[in-house]
Formats: sequence, C-alpha cells, structure tokens
Amino acid sequence: MNLLIIFISAVLINNFVFYYFLGLCPYLGVSRKIGPSISMGMAVTFVLSLTAVSSWMINHWILIPFGLDYLQIVSFILVIASLVQLVEMFIRKISPPLYQAMGIYLPLITTNCVIMGLALLAALKNYNFLETVVFGVSAGIGFTLAIVLMAAIREQLELADVPRPLRGAAIALITAGIISLAFMGFSGIIK
Amino acid sequence: MNLSTRMIVVLTAVGLLSGSFLAIVGQVTKERIIFNKRHEIEMAALKVVPGASSVKMIYEERDFAVFEDRDEAGNLLGYALQAAGTGFQDKIVLEIGVNAELTTILGLTIIEQKETPGLGAKITSEEDFLRYWQNRDCTKELTLRKPPVEDPGALASNEVNAITGATISSRAVLNIVNEAIKKARQLQTEGKLSGIN
Amino acid sequence: MAQKTIRQEFFKGLWDENPVTRQLLGLCSVLAVSNAVINGIAMGLAVTFVLVFSALLVSLIRKIVPNQVRIASFIVIIASFVTIADRVLAAYFPQLSKAMGPYVPLIVVNCIILGRAEAFASKNKVGRAIIDALGMSAGYVLTLLLMGFIRELLGNRTFLGAQILGRWFEPWVVMLLPPGAFIMLGLIIAVSNLIDFKIKERQKQP
Repeated sequence: MNLLIIFISAVLINNFVFYYFLGLCPYLGVSRKIGPSISMGMAVTFVLSLTAVSSWMINHWILIPFGLDYLQIVSFILVIASLVQLVEMFIRKISPPLYQAMGIYLPLITTNCVIMGLALLAALKNYNFLETVVFGVSAGIGFTLAIVLMAAIREQLELADVPRPLRGAAIALITAGIISLAFMGFSGIIK
Repeated sequence: MNLSTRMIVVLTAVGLLSGSFLAIVGQVTKERIIFNKRHEIEMAALKVVPGASSVKMIYEERDFAVFEDRDEAGNLLGYALQAAGTGFQDKIVLEIGVNAELTTILGLTIIEQKETPGLGAKITSEEDFLRYWQNRDCTKELTLRKPPVEDPGALASNEVNAITGATISSRAVLNIVNEAIKKARQLQTEGKLSGIN
Repeated sequence: MAQKTIRQEFFKGLWDENPVTRQLLGLCSVLAVSNAVINGIAMGLAVTFVLVFSALLVSLIRKIVPNQVRIASFIVIIASFVTIADRVLAAYFPQLSKAMGPYVPLIVVNCIILGRAEAFASKNKVGRAIIDALGMSAGYVLTLLLMGFIRELLGNRTFLGAQILGRWFEPWVVMLLPPGAFIMLGLIIAVSNLIDFKIKERQKQP
C-alpha cells in the first residue's frame, strides 16, 4: 500500500519535473519532438533505477555506519557519473541499436538534476531499500510523462505564431507552468 | 611521469585533499547539526504538554516516537507523540501532547508541512486550527466539525474544527493524530510506557 | 580571440551572458528557492561561494590536471565546496536549510558551476576566472532576487517576511507554488528578450 502511494506520488502529485523542478536543463535543449523524448525518458528511468539502488547501498552500508554523512554529496555524484559511464559503455557493446536509440542522451544525464535529486530525496525521506527502488522507477516514469507531454505541446507550438520575445525557453516554461497547474489537480488523490 | 601515472596521482591528490578538508568541516559542523535536529523535536515535545520542563524519548519507530514529559520536580505530566503521515501535498509531521492516562489531548503543534499556503497551511495557525485541539477527549476517535465553529465550547468533547477550504489537510492531521493515539495505547497495554510515579 | 577587459568580463554575466536568462542554466534552483527573498539570498550566497572557490581552484590546477580526468576532478572539487556550503547552512541556519531542502546539495549539478569551470576557469588565469565567476554569480543572484521579490510580494504580501501590501490585496497563492514559478520565469525571460531586441534595434539605427 505504501509503495502504491510512493508510485502515485512520484508520478502525479509530486512529479519530479512539475513539482520538484528537476530535469529541466536537458529538457529545454533536447525534447522538441516526441520520439527523442520517449528515448530520453527511458534512459533516465533506467539510470534512476540503478541510482536508487546504489545510492541506498552507499548510504546505508558505508556512509551511515561509519558516520560519514558529510561525504554524501561527493559520493553520490561520483557514483552517478561512474554509473552513467559504465551504462553507456555497456549498452554500446551489447546492443548498438539500443545505443542508437537512447545512448546518446546518457552523457547529458550525468549533470541532470533528476538523478542527483532522486538520490538526495530518497535519502532525505529515509526510505528503505524497496521504497527507494519504487521511488526511483516511479520518478523515471513521472519524468518521462512530463517531457513527453511537453514535447507533444511544443510540436504543436512550432506551428503556432509565437511572439518573438516568447519564443524558445520562455514559452516552454510558461507551458510547463500551465501543465504544472493542471497536475496540481492530482493532489489529494491519496487520503 | 607518464600520462597514466599522472592521472592516478592527480586524482588521488584531489581525492585525498578534498576528503581531508571535508572531514574537518564535517567534524566541526557535526555537533551543531545534531543539536539542531534534536532541539527542534524537543521544543515541540515540550510545547504540547503545558508545564513540562524536560522530555525524554522512550520509544521510536519510523514516523512515530513517544516522549515522556516531566515537570521540574520530575513528575510525569504526560506524553508527547511525534507522528507523521500523508497530507494534501506532501508529508505532515506533528507533535501531539496527551496526558499520562492517554485520555485527554493537551496540545498540538505542526513540525513539518508542505500544504497549500493560505489554505492547508492554516493547520499551523494557532488561531484557526491549533487552539481547538486543547482538552480534547481522546478516549474515543476524534472527529472533524464541518463547517467550523468559532467558539471552542460549542464543539463536542472529541470534535475539532476543520479549516474552511482545507478539509483534506485538516482530515490528514486528524487521521495522523488518531493513529498516533492508537499506537500509544497499544504500547501502553504492552507495558512499554512507564507508569505514573 | 579578443581579450575582454576586466570590466567586460564581470558585466557580461549580468546581461549578455546571464546564466539564467541567456544561457538557461541553473533553472532548477531558481524555480525552487525563489518563493521567498530570504531563501533567494541564502541560495545566492551558497552558489556564489561554490562558483568563486571552484573557479579559483580549477584555474589554479588547470595546467597540472591531465585532460582525461578533468571532469572527474572538477566534480570532486565542486562537490566538496557544495558540501561545505550545505553543512555550514545546516549547522548555523537550520530553518533556512530545512526550507531549501535538497536544493543546496543540488548545486553540485547546477549546470552553471560545471559549465563555467569547463568553459572558462580551466582555460584562464586565476584572476580572470574569479572575475568571471563573480559576474556569473551576480547575474544569477539578481535574477533570483527579482523572481523572489515578485513571487513573495504577490503570493504572500511580504518582503523578507515583513508585510508590505495590506489586506486589500488578495494574495496570488499560485505565485508561491510551482506553476507560478514556471510562469514567472518564462515571463522574465520573455521580457529580457524583448529588452534585448529593442537594444539591438537601437544599435542598428545610426
């Protein structure tokens, strides 16, 4: 039951993009089309799941037992960076078509706030292992939902006559704001 | 020095230097950070049981903790229960003060909340919400009074006011409190709460 | 490549190359902590601290660090300074620390810091690197404070916690919530673009 709450929370109510403001940096640059957005979302979800597992392990097997919580930020970011490197090399080797599909987004993901944000939030909320994993996967799904939605709208916006000052980032942000407003309607789903 | 060696040396140096520096900073700030965390919780535990001058944690699990509140003479005045649960937007953490027999609610304070400002966030308001929680009878489950009444005397002994426009947040607090009291009662029957002395 | 003067190096961060409105970096943090001016000030100071000191260190060691381990070393340096900022905040300003949640640690992935380290500090002398860092920080802080000011005033009627607008003004609560942040930032970027276009037009007319 608790896991279901975490899932709905991360995807709809406390969506990583529309509530926590994470994952905007690559979004603004990359996803203007639906196709690449889906690929990016998949890549992010994959990395998030791995990050959830490793950040939990590091936190609970190394940092806390040895009283090293001040090393949390450094260890998390290093692990994330290494993880992404490894994942990229791994995918390139075992499945070139998969690499073509989503591998190119991986380097962008390292400095993506979403990944680090997940590690930090899961630690902050004190989730146990299973909860952290569910949180990670749900966050990925929420992120994918968010950027696909925005890409879909932006595809339409390309055809519209947007005033000059608003073109590009400005209208993208305002779009995000409106979607964020809509998503607020999901609050209170869980009682 | 060839390239590989240089890479290793530089990385190790950077790692060691940062590590040591961070260790120093970590140590210097550690005490204060622990103190800050404890202080906030203790302040809340003291606040909800009037007359208390010292608190001691006697039970802890995830999202729930029990504190003993004693006065200066060392008499047990009651318990402060720290509990958490889901609110409208995010997690709500609160502290509820009950008497030693677990029959009356002495006070309530909200420690953490991310409810809607101006609406659900009113659960932190003394005037709009918290003062109606004093002297509530918790031998039975607490219920919500909708629409709210101005005069606390008009409420039934186990009723509290809902906030207009923030029913979900109010109900969330109610559920958290009911749950907490249930848990405390469970601990009492198991003999885990120290008796009156 | 023409060398900019020291003044130009600093001021570019405020407008032409403003990290938020032009380069679109560090948006996550701007949106998250601009709901109150005091949060903006704390975040601004933290980012300035991290940006300046990592620029300094990166520039200092730029000739010794081999290319392949460049990014890794930068990340460790940046992460260390972020940790320091986060710990100091948690120790001496617990209320602020709690209000900002995970966003101070998230400075480590704030694209501005790594971006500047990579694009500038690693290729320039210490003096210039610091000036650049200060300029970028100034641009960031100004944008952050502007957002914070508007959001806090319209959403809460206050400035730095003190009530400014009277009861006659019904607060626009949405300003304190995520949608308000997104829309406000979008508008600020639009206005900044508009002003830029006007300036460029005026420059074209002799």
